[in-house]
Amino acid sequence: MRDRPVSGSAAVAIGLAAIASAALAAGWAAGGGGVDVPWAPTWNLRLAFELDGLAALYGLLAAGIGVLVFVYASAYVPRHLAHQRRPRGEEARLHGAMALFLVSMVGLATAQDLILLFVFWDLTAVASWLLIGFDRADRNARLSALMALLVTAVSAVLMLVGILMLRVEYGTTQLSELFAVAEGGSTVTVAAALIAVAALAKSAQVPFHFWLPRAMAAPTPVSAYLHSAAMVAAGVFLLSRVHPLIALSGGLLDVLLVVGLASMAVGGALALAADGLKRLLAYSTISQYGYVVTMLGVGGEAGAAAACFYVLAHALAKSALFMTAGAVTEATGAGALSKLGGIAARMPLLAAGSGAAAASVAALPLTLGFFGDELFFAAALEHGTVLSALAVAGAALTFAYMARFWCGIFLGAPRGRAQPVERRLVWPVAALGAVSLVGGVAVGPFADLAREAAVVTHGARVDLAAAYHLDARAENLMALGAYSCGLLLFAGRRLIDAPLELIKRVGGRAGPERAYGVTLGGLNRLSNRLHDIEVRDLRARVAAVILPGAGLVALGVAFTPTQGAYRVGAIAADDTPLIVALGVCALAAVAVTAPRHHLALALSLSGVGFALATAFTLMGAPDVALVAVLIETIFALLFVAVFARLPRGVLRREAALRPARSRQLRDVMIASLSGLVTMLVVWGGLSRPTPEGGMAERHLALAEDAHGKDVVTVILADFRSLDTLVEITVVAVAMIAVATLLRGRLRA
Amino acid sequence: MTSLLTRMVARALLAPTLVVAAAMLVKGYADVGDGFAAGIVAALGVLLQYLAFGRDEVVAALPVLRAPATALGGLALAVAVLTVPFALGGALFEHWPPAGEAAVHVGSLELISAVVFDVGVFLLVLGAAVTIIDALAAPEEQEA
Repeated sequence: MRDRPVSGSAAVAIGLAAIASAALAAGWAAGGGGVDVPWAPTWNLRLAFELDGLAALYGLLAAGIGVLVFVYASAYVPRHLAHQRRPRGEEARLHGAMALFLVSMVGLATAQDLILLFVFWDLTAVASWLLIGFDRADRNARLSALMALLVTAVSAVLMLVGILMLRVEYGTTQLSELFAVAEGGSTVTVAAALIAVAALAKSAQVPFHFWLPRAMAAPTPVSAYLHSAAMVAAGVFLLSRVHPLIALSGGLLDVLLVVGLASMAVGGALALAADGLKRLLAYSTISQYGYVVTMLGVGGEAGAAAACFYVLAHALAKSALFMTAGAVTEATGAGALSKLGGIAARMPLLAAGSGAAAASVAALPLTLGFFGDELFFAAALEHGTVLSALAVAGAALTFAYMARFWCGIFLGAPRGRAQPVERRLVWPVAALGAVSLVGGVAVGPFADLAREAAVVTHGARVDLAAAYHLDARAENLMALGAYSCGLLLFAGRRLIDAPLELIKRVGGRAGPERAYGVTLGGLNRLSNRLHDIEVRDLRARVAAVILPGAGLVALGVAFTPTQGAYRVGAIAADDTPLIVALGVCALAAVAVTAPRHHLALALSLSGVGFALATAFTLMGAPDVALVAVLIETIFALLFVAVFARLPRGVLRREAALRPARSRQLRDVMIASLSGLVTMLVVWGGLSRPTPEGGMAERHLALAEDAHGKDVVTVILADFRSLDTLVEITVVAVAMIAVATLLRGRLRA
Repeated sequence: MTSLLTRMVARALLAPTLVVAAAMLVKGYADVGDGFAAGIVAALGVLLQYLAFGRDEVVAALPVLRAPATALGGLALAVAVLTVPFALGGALFEHWPPAGEAAVHVGSLELISAVVFDVGVFLLVLGAAVTIIDALAAPEEQEA
């Protein structure tokens, strides 16, 4: 098949990825380096980026795999859009979001400030939401995108809490400063645990793993990128980045160990049972990052080295396998193992490339993955016998489902017809497979990259030796054990179908995905119920504001010491006018409840306002009094204008309505409660003596510096100009809303 | 149609209302009143014209249809006053002249950036109020 030309947007994305890879590689070769400029100096925040070992590893993965995935996408996405009869112009949206993904991953990898890291962390979540939900017309894709966003962004809030805890404790969010001063203790442990939760959710570890299989609703290039070098990798990246903090608490490391092992088991078992190609690979990702989390839980020199090397080997292979799945589906129209088989002869290059990648994941010799497992076994051996046994079991599971995946597609009796596909759908897979093979022979540069990353994770020198040893050492025996167990599992896979089916069913019934659905549904119903109550009528809306307000304030009053808070002062003779004004005000307020006619109601409301304005004048607040009088005047007139527009009949009918007895009672109770609470608060506030050197005195003193003599105006126009700006913006929005509503009603 | 007397009073009051508003605005920094109050006073003056003459005559005589633009212009002016110092290398919301320096006088008028900000508030309040008044006064069938 003749290749279609690469579209402009795809070319831009590929170019960006290529430039980023070249820049990162050149920077790394030149010995790193960084940028550090002030961001918000008063908060001691800096835009601090540094290309250290860990940044080089994840940055190069994101950019390098990005080049190949973007090339693949340039051929895949036009086909994808054509299948759905969508305009080809939508392609730019995907490439744009992919580029955002790349940039945020590189930013995340190089950031040296936790707040900055958090910003890029959320940017990756935004990019993934855009990409998973790329098929906007597909409800499933939209829900999957929302799930990925909720799981990763809600947990990110916990991470922010953890970051702020560290900041409060140590006054900094710079990682290097934190590592220098942080000591073990409850604050650091809790903060590190919160950060770890966000990381585990992002890396789709048990029990947050359920979002990842759903995320395969994304077009295949997105999955390839998301599972290997972006998003999911970001989770283990964060764990590696803050590992010195996590390592301060042994308990936290044990939690990581348990979560990692559980993810290995759950992901591996589900991958063994999965039929869909992408689904199998998604479960495999959960399991593979389970390896990495386990190794980070083991910690120390061996754990850090193994984790970093494993991420490298996995990313290269997993992106190739996802692209294989996409290419096979495009060629045959089938996306499940049960409908595929024997197409190796039709697509030899794809079979070879993905074979190398699958072998690397299964950790066969002569692939990069072999060394990954060797380091994994070495770390497990250092930790103990139990972990070593579990490691072999995990590796056996991996071997079995990888064999199922590759053999199921390419070997056996030919099924389905493979159409030729663009070369750009095949050669990125072949290239990544070749890299995995080259790494299996010349492991040096890969080991160097992983070692430097491990140095950052471990916080000390790391000795990472990856080589073939043709002897009967424990790692080799463990590998042999894993191959043979894996082969048995693969051969006897029919026998274990039933128990796997049971696991799947139990997971669906009582698993965390169910909990997510129940929680989301419950929140939705609660919100709907509250909304229904609130919008029933105007009174309900007012009550919805003042009742919770009164309740909260009443709680505050209840928990405030009241001794001396409510004083009854003396009344002097010259207070009489003020008392009269306030008395008129109270009378007018009571009178408001009497009239049934709308105009009378509006005018008696103005009466309250004018009486209050008089009180302000008598209390020596001419500015406030002036505004009060003006507002009352214009509002009285506007009320009249509104009534004049309403049909007479409607006004008359409304005026004749009598609310039900129970409703009246309820309204009186709500009004009394909020009135009482307001009175308590005002009384308490007025009982407090004005503090010496308080805000009011400072404002008076500062007004001189601001060249003002009327302190009220100076406060509005200078001291609190931001507040005023926000308020006048609200006025502008209200103006647009009123004008639009009035005109819109007329047009309708 | 309102009586001749109402119309004469309304016509006679417009200019003094606007002068009062202008006075409140420029004197606001030293005396009672500010941009908000001045805007409402001016809007009341315009509202009086609507009541006395009806919308058609007011639209013909006064530039009330430009009220929304005036409001948004006021908002833009306020934003500008707060952000220009930043663009010139100072802090956001920095006022001019700085504390301790004497204000520049033009006649008896002091040049203070906060007063310019208040002018923005005035324009916004006046524009918004007149826009709403005009929307309420607009006859239904005309725009149907």
